[in-house]
Amino acid sequence: MDSDEEIHDVYDGDSAEDYYYSGGDSNMDGGDSIGGGEDEDDDAGYGYGYASDEGSEKTYTVLREDDIRQRQEESISHVSAVLSISRVAASILLCHYKWNVSQLHDQWFADEDRIRKSVGLLTKPVAMFSNANEMNCGICFDSYPRDQIQSAVCGHPYCITCWKGYITTSINDGPGCLLLRCPAPGCGAAVGHDMIHKLASDEDREKYSRYFVRSYIVDKKKTKWCPAPDCENAVEFELGSNVYDVKCLCSHAFCWNCTEEAHRPVDCSTVAKWILKNSAESENMNWILANSKPCPKCKRPIEKNQGCMHMSCTPPCKFEFCWLCLGAWSDHGERTGGFYACNRYEAAKQEGLYDESEKRREMAKNSLERYTHYYERWASNQTLEKLSDKLKEPESQLKFIIEAWQQIIECRRVLKWTYAYGYYLPEHETAKRQLFEYSQGEAEAALERLHQCAEKELLVFLGNDDGEVETQPDFETFRPKLAGLTRVTRSYFENLVRALENGLSEVDSQAASSTSVSSKNAGAKGKGGKAKSSSSRSSRTGTRNIDDVNHWNCERCTYANPESSTLCQMCRNPR
Amino acid sequence: MANSNLPRRIIKETQRLLSEPAPGISASPSEENMRYFNVMVLGPSQSPYEGGVFKLELFLPEEYPMAPPKLGRICLDILKDKWSPALQIRTVLLSIQALLSAPNPDDPLSENVAKHWKSNEVEAVETAKEWTRLYATGA
Repeated sequence: MDSDEEIHDVYDGDSAEDYYYSGGDSNMDGGDSIGGGEDEDDDAGYGYGYASDEGSEKTYTVLREDDIRQRQEESISHVSAVLSISRVAASILLCHYKWNVSQLHDQWFADEDRIRKSVGLLTKPVAMFSNANEMNCGICFDSYPRDQIQSAVCGHPYCITCWKGYITTSINDGPGCLLLRCPAPGCGAAVGHDMIHKLASDEDREKYSRYFVRSYIVDKKKTKWCPAPDCENAVEFELGSNVYDVKCLCSHAFCWNCTEEAHRPVDCSTVAKWILKNSAESENMNWILANSKPCPKCKRPIEKNQGCMHMSCTPPCKFEFCWLCLGAWSDHGERTGGFYACNRYEAAKQEGLYDESEKRREMAKNSLERYTHYYERWASNQTLEKLSDKLKEPESQLKFIIEAWQQIIECRRVLKWTYAYGYYLPEHETAKRQLFEYSQGEAEAALERLHQCAEKELLVFLGNDDGEVETQPDFETFRPKLAGLTRVTRSYFENLVRALENGLSEVDSQAASSTSVSSKNAGAKGKGGKAKSSSSRSSRTGTRNIDDVNHWNCERCTYANPESSTLCQMCRNPR
Repeated sequence: MANSNLPRRIIKETQRLLSEPAPGISASPSEENMRYFNVMVLGPSQSPYEGGVFKLELFLPEEYPMAPPKLGRICLDILKDKWSPALQIRTVLLSIQALLSAPNPDDPLSENVAKHWKSNEVEAVETAKEWTRLYATGA
């Protein structure tokens, strides 16, 4: 499976095809590339999004709200200096020009008068100022002393109350308030941000300022908001890159191209298809879950829409059971409370038995969310602190545990998407199907080992809250083991992702040798890889025996290496 | 009822509409609700609507003048996104009168009438005259 050299990325097939396999080239000089080498504990910890070890090039930058504000400030200062205009005028112009500084410069210097007119930057008042002490407001028609009247540059007089009403209406109408103009018909003079800040209520000022920040991103092709709920960050993408997976600082990983959850190795159109398909079907599934219970014998879902608790499944099953406790009806009757109650159920419910099984069912349905949840809980419980205390190790030395968990989460996500991939893999591509299921199984097995180690074996070190833990030596073997498994699992998934993004082209080039692979996985496993049975997995966790003559199995990670190599190609363990 | 807290602006506008009406336009508030106006617009001379009297109902919402008056289903930009609180009932009604002088078949209420207007203006003008005579005169 050593096919790195042969890989031609077919992901979306456009420009800059292979820069990230060749470790960076012309597209990526400058910018913020992260040094490669043995940068194993790169904070992003986002292994397979980039080239493996020889050079992790970041193809994007996460912008926090502060970063955006700072960039806005810089643009405003720049424009204000270059065009010799006030900062207020500069920010009006930038809002009109969608923060495109160079386009603004070009057009301004080509025809300043036209630009001024179109955005409403007047140089002098157009309305006649009377010298009277009182002025009439053009909205409420009342007369006010001069100090209660305000105007934009144009000089059209409105009282402070009406200005406030005008501004608040505009802000509540949406981001159009950034381009607010004088209310006078046909005037068009821009209302500066300074005036709005002076006159708006605190709440409106807050909204206005939010629109202002958002205006920086909304119109940009290079930058998008992180789609995670409540996340205020944006991601700026290096155009030309074809690795769309990005990870926000909020830890949400998404596809920059379609803004769905990160879905390598599956392409965006497949994801869209898959989501559409599932949204239709999940409606059904939700309904079934909410309104039915499976027959305890034949497992067909049964909806109970009326009547007593004595259920009879339809032929041929005909099983008679109690709707509440799902036990056989033969155990029921007068002594359990009659036809409309079940005191066995009531008793069991009191003990909390049913709640728990209900919960388990729910959890199983949300496997990925579950792992994320576990991780978050794990992290928030200050497990690390506790561990650090017990082992007298600084927390920084325990980072490998976090990395292991991050790897688990990412792998679960990839694994999830491989099922969508499998679903759309044509049935007749038998060889590809077999290779797919094999690679998927291998990756999954590695992930299970890692997960086992990160979850179960870690518990030992947490021990009970009281009592000393005599684990110093053990922990020193645990560390390299978990770190090793993390690395190995990452490699497996990188390979899996590459193979799938390649359209499993190895099958074509290695048609001959693939027969040996397929012999192991012989027997179709049902549609779309969905029925990957647990038995096939357990056979993998044992020693591998593909083509024993030409391979040796790594002691540490069980990877099957070609005879010619002396180091394991997965984990670099010597033979 | 709603008349007790009528903003001064509405009172002033009403007074001016009554004391110095715009030519060809009359607008008078309903007795029960001072935010509700019965409006009559005369068809402009030299238009197919000449001689017709067009009745409208105009309502000033609670937010007026920050929000535009409500005026049936008339496609007019100042009744929507181009509204400004510095506009008035009078200016809105003048705009409607102007619309009768120069219909805008690119932004129609009725697609069929607009098509007819664009494909055969002479015939469409005749229809407009006919309908004005039938539905907007006398009574």
